Amino acid sequence: MEVSVIGNPQARIFRAELAYRELGFRFGSVVISGESRNRVTFCNQGSKWKEIAIRCSHRSVKCEAIVSDDAPPFLNSTSKSKSLESVKLFVGLPLDTVSDCNNVNHLKAITAGLKALKLLGVQGIELPIFWGVVEKEAVGRYEWSGYLAVAEIVKKVGLKLHASLSFHGSKHPEIGLPDWVAKIGEAEPGIYFTDRYGQQYKDCLSFAVDDVPVLHGKTPMEVYRGFCDSFKSAFSDYMGNTITGITLGLGPDGELRYPSHQQDVKCSGAGEFQCYDKHMLTALKAYAESTGNPLWGLGGPHDAPAYDQQPNSSSFFSDGGSWESQYGDFFLSWYSSLLTSHADRVLSVTSSAFSGIGVPLCGKLPLLHQWHKLRSQPSELTAGFYSSNGQDRYEAIAEIFAKNSCRVIIPGMDLSDEHQSPESLSSPESLLAHIKASCKKQGVVVSGQNSSTPLPGGFERIVENLKDENVGIDLFTYQRMGALFFSPEHFHAFTVFVRNLSQFELSSDDKAADVEDETVSIGSGTGAPSLQTA
Amino acid sequence: MSTVPIESLLHHSHLRDNSKIYRGTRSFFIPCSLNLPSHFTSNKLLHSIRTSVGASSKHRRSVAIRASSSDTAVVETAQSDDVIFKENFPVQRIEKAQGKIYVRLKQVKEKNWELSVGSSIPGKWILHWGVSYVGDTGSEWDQPPEDMRPPGSIAIKDYAIETPLKKLSEGDSFFEVAINLNLESSVAALNFVLKDEETGAWYQHKGRDFKVPLVDDVPDNGNLIGAKKGFGAIGQLSNIPLKQDESSAEVKKKSKSSSDSTKERKGLQEFYEEMPISKRVADDNSVSVTARKCSETSKNIVSIETDLPGDVTVHWGVCKNGSKKWEIPSEPYPEDTSLFKNKALRTRLQRKDDGNGSFGLFSLDGNLEGGEDFYVPFLTSSSSLVGTEATEAAQLSKHTPKTDKEVSASGFTDEIITEIRNLAIDIHSHKNQKTNVKEVQENILQEIEKLAAEAYSIFRSTTPTFSEESILAEAEKPDIKISSGTGSGFEILCQGFNWESHKSGRWYLELQEKADELASLGFTVLWLPPPTESVSPEGYMPKDLYNLNSRYGTIDELKDTVRKFHKVGIKVLGDAVLNHRCAHFKNQNGVWNLFGGRLNWDDRAVVADDPHFQGRGNKSSGDNFHAAPNIDHSQDFVRKDIKEWLCWMMEEVGYDGWRLDFVRGFWGGYVKDYMDASKPYFAVGEYWDSLSYTYGEMDYNQDAHRQRIVDWINATSGATGAFDVTTKGILHTALQKCEYWRLSDPKGKPPGVVGWWPSRAVTFIENHDTGSTQGHWRFPEGKEMQGYAYILTHPGTPAVFFDHIFSDYHPEIAALLSLRNRQKLHCRSEVNIDKSERDVYAAIIDDKVAMKIGPGHYEPPNGSKNWSVAVEGRDYKVWETS
Repeated sequence: MEVSVIGNPQARIFRAELAYRELGFRFGSVVISGESRNRVTFCNQGSKWKEIAIRCSHRSVKCEAIVSDDAPPFLNSTSKSKSLESVKLFVGLPLDTVSDCNNVNHLKAITAGLKALKLLGVQGIELPIFWGVVEKEAVGRYEWSGYLAVAEIVKKVGLKLHASLSFHGSKHPEIGLPDWVAKIGEAEPGIYFTDRYGQQYKDCLSFAVDDVPVLHGKTPMEVYRGFCDSFKSAFSDYMGNTITGITLGLGPDGELRYPSHQQDVKCSGAGEFQCYDKHMLTALKAYAESTGNPLWGLGGPHDAPAYDQQPNSSSFFSDGGSWESQYGDFFLSWYSSLLTSHADRVLSVTSSAFSGIGVPLCGKLPLLHQWHKLRSQPSELTAGFYSSNGQDRYEAIAEIFAKNSCRVIIPGMDLSDEHQSPESLSSPESLLAHIKASCKKQGVVVSGQNSSTPLPGGFERIVENLKDENVGIDLFTYQRMGALFFSPEHFHAFTVFVRNLSQFELSSDDKAADVEDETVSIGSGTGAPSLQTA
Repeated sequence: MSTVPIESLLHHSHLRDNSKIYRGTRSFFIPCSLNLPSHFTSNKLLHSIRTSVGASSKHRRSVAIRASSSDTAVVETAQSDDVIFKENFPVQRIEKAQGKIYVRLKQVKEKNWELSVGSSIPGKWILHWGVSYVGDTGSEWDQPPEDMRPPGSIAIKDYAIETPLKKLSEGDSFFEVAINLNLESSVAALNFVLKDEETGAWYQHKGRDFKVPLVDDVPDNGNLIGAKKGFGAIGQLSNIPLKQDESSAEVKKKSKSSSDSTKERKGLQEFYEEMPISKRVADDNSVSVTARKCSETSKNIVSIETDLPGDVTVHWGVCKNGSKKWEIPSEPYPEDTSLFKNKALRTRLQRKDDGNGSFGLFSLDGNLEGGEDFYVPFLTSSSSLVGTEATEAAQLSKHTPKTDKEVSASGFTDEIITEIRNLAIDIHSHKNQKTNVKEVQENILQEIEKLAAEAYSIFRSTTPTFSEESILAEAEKPDIKISSGTGSGFEILCQGFNWESHKSGRWYLELQEKADELASLGFTVLWLPPPTESVSPEGYMPKDLYNLNSRYGTIDELKDTVRKFHKVGIKVLGDAVLNHRCAHFKNQNGVWNLFGGRLNWDDRAVVADDPHFQGRGNKSSGDNFHAAPNIDHSQDFVRKDIKEWLCWMMEEVGYDGWRLDFVRGFWGGYVKDYMDASKPYFAVGEYWDSLSYTYGEMDYNQDAHRQRIVDWINATSGATGAFDVTTKGILHTALQKCEYWRLSDPKGKPPGVVGWWPSRAVTFIENHDTGSTQGHWRFPEGKEMQGYAYILTHPGTPAVFFDHIFSDYHPEIAALLSLRNRQKLHCRSEVNIDKSERDVYAAIIDDKVAMKIGPGHYEPPNGSKNWSVAVEGRDYKVWETS
């Protein structure tokens, strides 16, 4: 009989022993043959009873006995890791795939690259679509031609497409918000996030103007809605077949957070609060008055450290500091509530726009792992993640995703604690586990991404994360295509990574296929020189 | 019948008590394909036929055979009047021979054990083996003690032995090799894999080496054979002795225990194991198709004949008016025709009377005539248009039910995409059709590498391309036709000058006198020195590009020389120095950066990042050459002028191609631009940078070095070749230090550019810079002939340095040149490295030339081929088949 188990090697060994014990040695040597094939196939480990396929002929009684007696412990024994067969692998296209005059940049390179990825077995491609490119000229005037051309290439190559609608700008490469929005911003800087020095963050609109008609009489939400509607109709031919996912930009770099590190520098600090634009301050004032503390509504915390200061250098984030005080709770609750409600607004607006097309929607959370080991977790606070009384800071957010049936994308799956500098008190692994747990609790599906720069051991870490069965990650997007991605060193590592994923996948095919009884394998192995290829 | 069971030759039948396991009905699908070398390169007319040999047995075994030809439908002439089309398609059928490998350990005498390995399939089997010694860790192999090596064994580097399997006796179908085990030595285990010399396939055991343990505690990685291990409890359940363990799903094994084991090796027990194997055996057949016009009935009659054995079914339909859709023709149909899914017909051909093959006649309506085409579906999608002139519309194709498993040897992306499922797997992990998939996988991997390299080179060059061309253009198949990167593929280059050639002032005239001699030596391309006015006498500091009077002679002498060489059939390359140009005038700061002459560029033509020359152009797209202003090729006016100049040189002087100086200095994409404009017959670029060394010792792996050269060639889109500096560098160390093992890379291929992209590698051992009177990087003295024995027998386009031709080496070089031409070795010849050891390197090229360099001993393998020595000299020897 043939017994195939999809899972980790441990499970395989266990399985083999089992077969010997029950079936005896004579036919235990697991010979496959057409005639006397008894097949017991355990599908992926998360399966329930009905998914355990048993194909038996004259020894069926015995086989069933095995399954019923021993399967539960056996299934448990594999539960440490899940199989990777269900993980879909996507690769992100360069941010500047489409130039701001709607040309496809590097067209030949992208075409060649897509073919290579398709051949490699990658399932799909993530395409960042920028508001500033599509609706560049004027409100309501959309130009999709560049992105449509890319979608067509992706379709022709036979890959899936995940569209990321980006309502933000980018610094590298430089892609701004639409020109007409930038013009409004010149006249009314209050539409941008602003820090306490009055510096504006011009790559994303402030959460406080979501429902304020600042854009030629329209609110940003209405403009986003129009953008989504236009996208939906422009790409209607691709929906559901080529396009299998849509990510909605929720803030700076698409992530749901405040731009707490305004300057794109590697600041040692925890970032600063971004609540100093006109609309934020108005909202804060109103909130303070409504809670009976009008004096608290005059500005943000005065004792928060600056961008380049260590979190502990002033009193706000230190243990027992202001963040734990009544004022701190007042301010942080308000600050984070704006973030939460922004997420809710964007997701509900867009999910109604895309309702009925059958393409899952996603939103991206940040992985603010710096200073995570401090009790206050200041990087998360400045970015807007807070919960009163020490409760789960991600729960409210996960709830909103659940409510809107959106999936969560978590970046940084390649980060491991050991590669972080000890001074930063960082712990990407534990934060990642935390967010995943919060999502799982709310039943939110999680997809993964890596951080943008390749790290030593990153691929191994990704595989570990994908195998973690506590939260089943079914989609991983690798960021991002470009010269570095295709450089010989990196591309080789990526190929190995894909193989590691696919090996699991292919073994799952074996269960359906008729396996020929060959013992030979062709190829190189230890000691033998590898094949000559002409 | 395509599956050939050989298994039943029960040589050891007493050991088989469970053979029924094997008899199961298995349905095999054996794909085969045929790939004519040029069949995708001609975009003219393609014909192809797909046949399926459908055996009528209940096992439903079938073989898909496709044939194709790139010949045009040259028909209407010379044939009898009514024959409007006739074509013969060769068909290669791959049969799968089933058999087994067996491994037997037996005690001949006290302390005298023998291990035999055998195979029941005929072939040139080689046992590739080594041993592990007691105390070895890891999976490294070692050479076995001398007394264990059977006669005829060949040592492979320092870790393995290759021993051919021999027929036990005439008339016996088993091939076997027996190794006497030396139990006095500390050999702990014997490792081996089987190699089939004919197909180059390796046969392993569960994806690893076979490992036969000779002591008890050999670590088990799952690949032990005849090892004793097992679960204590199981032994009691079974009356079969403990050592019978085999957890593999594929291995069937019968063993016989031996109760009396020796005392020294108390674990050693006799055993016998068999493993089934299969091997693909190619078989040549052909299908001929003739179409006739029958004037009486105004019908077209197509007859198909084949010598394929077994029942042959033609899967066919017609297509009308150039549409590529299959349609069912009107009745009547031939006998034995059935409808297939309403889209095609299937007709079983009638057996010929003599039993050798089948034939069939198809009559088709005459009104199909006119503007209709033959065409052929390759696999599922792409159809190639055939015979626009042909007046016949018949589409004949033979086909099997499971095309999805078909293996196409061609590398078309679109086709390969259908095979993607098979890709990202380690070869061993894939249990289905291992043998078939191998080929596809290699194709795909190569394709991926190529695509990734392409993507890399474009992404890396920061200029985004806006060109609309070739969205999803068909991936180009490496072509055999003439292209500027390769010439005809059979070129041999002569560097027609050295560093001193300018001294006489009449070099062109001196060279002319040698034209006949160079032609008779067999050179096809001559590289002339840089022809322009130059600040340095050698010509590499050009000033006025349109002034072709140089220290080598006048423009008229140059033209005359080119004419002379053309007369003797040699193409001529001009040495184009495009990276830099010496200025005529100073700018207001006193810096020389303004040009005169016909190309009176100003400082915008000079790159901005060399402070010496205060250029106002863009930054250089490559490295800078600091002795003269580097030209900024990113400027449109510069490129336009250079293109014009190149075309002028071709027209005026008659050059056929280019040797491009210092191409590291600017982006290869511009070179492509220049090649596109000037359309040379052959072009080669000098991309010379340093190899990698660690602590003064050259690294074995020079992949990074050759990658840079390949990247550059890639950037030119393969429009030029490049000098294979990597090969020269490795030859230096290999020859100088007697480290010939360096000449095989980890994949068993040549370690230079020639191992990766042979058609674009211009191999050389010396030039005017490295040797001559400059001697910047001189080839090891006295070993030049070994270098030439290497490059003149290997793929790539070899270049021979002038000084060497007219030296004492003349007769030896002449002999090698003549051998290369006689044996038609070319830039894509296939090289199989046979030996790469400390003191000897040997390779067989295209199965017809064998060569060795180094003091060590080598003889080409005896076999069907008759090797005779062609050229021989100090530390090298070259053989050819006669």
